[in-house]
Amino acid sequence: MALRKIRIMGDEILTKVCRPVDRMTPRTQTLIEDMLDTMYDANGVGLAAPQVGILKRIVVIDIGEGPLVMVNPEIIEREGEQTGQEGCLSLPGQAGVVTRPNYVKARAFDLQMQPFEVEGEGLLARAICHELDHLNGIMYVRFVEGELFDVSGEEEDEEEEIDEKEGNEA
Amino acid sequence: MTKPVNLREIVLGILLEITEEEAYSHIVIRNVLEKYQYLDKRDRAFISRTAEGTLEHMIQLDYIIEQFSNVPVYNMKPLIRNLLRMSVYQLKYMDSVPDSAAVNEAVRLAQKKGFYNLKGFVNGVLRNTARRLSQVRYPDPAREPLHYLSVKYSFPIWMLNKWVTQFGYEVTERICRDSHMEKGTTVRCNLEKASVEEIILELEKQDIQVRQHPYLDYALIISHYNYIDAVSAFKKGWIQVQDISSMLVAEAAAPNWGDYCIDVCAAPGGKSLHISDKLMGSGYVEARDISERKVKRMQESIERTSAINIRAMVKDATVYDPESYQRADIVLADVPCSGLGVIGKKQDIKYKMSEKRQQDIIALQRKILDTVQNYVRPGGVLIYSTCTIGADENQYNIKWFLENYPFKLENLDPYLCPELHGKTTKGGYIQLLPGIHESDGFFIARLRRLFDE
Repeated sequence: MALRKIRIMGDEILTKVCRPVDRMTPRTQTLIEDMLDTMYDANGVGLAAPQVGILKRIVVIDIGEGPLVMVNPEIIEREGEQTGQEGCLSLPGQAGVVTRPNYVKARAFDLQMQPFEVEGEGLLARAICHELDHLNGIMYVRFVEGELFDVSGEEEDEEEEIDEKEGNEA
Repeated sequence: MTKPVNLREIVLGILLEITEEEAYSHIVIRNVLEKYQYLDKRDRAFISRTAEGTLEHMIQLDYIIEQFSNVPVYNMKPLIRNLLRMSVYQLKYMDSVPDSAAVNEAVRLAQKKGFYNLKGFVNGVLRNTARRLSQVRYPDPAREPLHYLSVKYSFPIWMLNKWVTQFGYEVTERICRDSHMEKGTTVRCNLEKASVEEIILELEKQDIQVRQHPYLDYALIISHYNYIDAVSAFKKGWIQVQDISSMLVAEAAAPNWGDYCIDVCAAPGGKSLHISDKLMGSGYVEARDISERKVKRMQESIERTSAINIRAMVKDATVYDPESYQRADIVLADVPCSGLGVIGKKQDIKYKMSEKRQQDIIALQRKILDTVQNYVRPGGVLIYSTCTIGADENQYNIKWFLENYPFKLENLDPYLCPELHGKTTKGGYIQLLPGIHESDGFFIARLRRLFDE
């Protein structure tokens, strides 16, 4: 297991368009494994290669239903609409409301460079859109409706004072 | 992309904290909503409605779950039982949630929380529930009257048993039913700042529904507002949120100009402030409480009203304070209690209270009475109150008190509106019952210290 450093917004590399992968090499395979490790380690649901500093058209996704590796992916169908909160590992502690299609169908190549299609609804559709944008140098903040908000401290368990003797607060 | 906020996971966390870790529902929910204040209104409403509704109907939900599960609810893993409860609540009470969403999200959540092996169980119980919910057979009111009430209204049997003995079956059912009713907020008009007419006008300007409370002319019931903080009459300090029962305490105390009053369990301070109002700047009110944090909050609200005849201080009501010996004209003892009169507002009370706990509370109440009766001057008044119903913490305590201390009960009728007059008010106490009275469940007794002991 190898973790790679996640690039943070402001890093030039996150604004660049990535190159397609011609063929699978051991190097690229290692990259993909590292990307999965890095995503799980950061508690994310998706990661694109430029986020670890590599300008290749590769994304990994896991919304809790197992890993999905997509090489040279493209969206071929979009339907419906969903509006909801979105956040990015390259902009920790922040989130914003983004409207995305509620359904997408995408085409990509797998680890063996075999073509496949995947359909996603809800969260999976959102993750596919979000990650594929990265391959074109686009961050979700461009689509945020309203303000970005602070979500840091979300996962920490705060020990709150609960010393109230209730029942007597009429 | 980062993990999105999972609303159901948040609700599950709330339920676990309340049902398995003894936290208080209103505090847990308030803290969670504060933490997720960036979520939109719809998501926040989903969180509070699902959490509160699940608690409100928990006994009934458990009954339904057990129709479809061969494992009894109390034998399940805490996480699984709470997951099932909130999911069955969505199936039964939330029309806006499709059955498939309630079931699938629950299965996914079970897996995410590390119960991969129980996915099938969760799925099976919930699918069966969704399909056969309308065929569930509930206890028969004729054959099992208590069990029927318990499942229909989600009240524990021991509590119903006591109430049926003391109030009868029909009144008990009305108390239970009332706890599920949507109610407006009762507010007290601060007559120092504006007249009732001005206040009503100001509220109606914001399209808030206002109704005069039948028991007191300066009490209003308001509804159809979002946040109390956004209500202009509230911001101006013209109204104070306070239940009618708690206002009746100050009425029963009926302070005279210049009276010195000690409120021994004062937080959050509504009654003390009310007395300070009634004293119109004269006399003095000492608002005591054991919790430093609550006293601080009380001091803040005192400062908002800019009253000069009242002060909040940290003092434990069970510890004798020699300096107060026979000094007070009025002592308010609104003691800690089981809270069975406010179950409509704090649903978890009915599950957390037990007969054993109630015994401990009664001991505490008597200890407080034993301590603070010392502060009443000869001829002075002691007001004993609780927000609970049932004789154990009310009538029996008063009986015990009268047997041991030089006090007598005093007629309450002069201080109450005619609708509330009855046999016991003449005798010196009143038990308000939700569903019977337009009020929380509450008890007030007016006692006067005799001159010669």
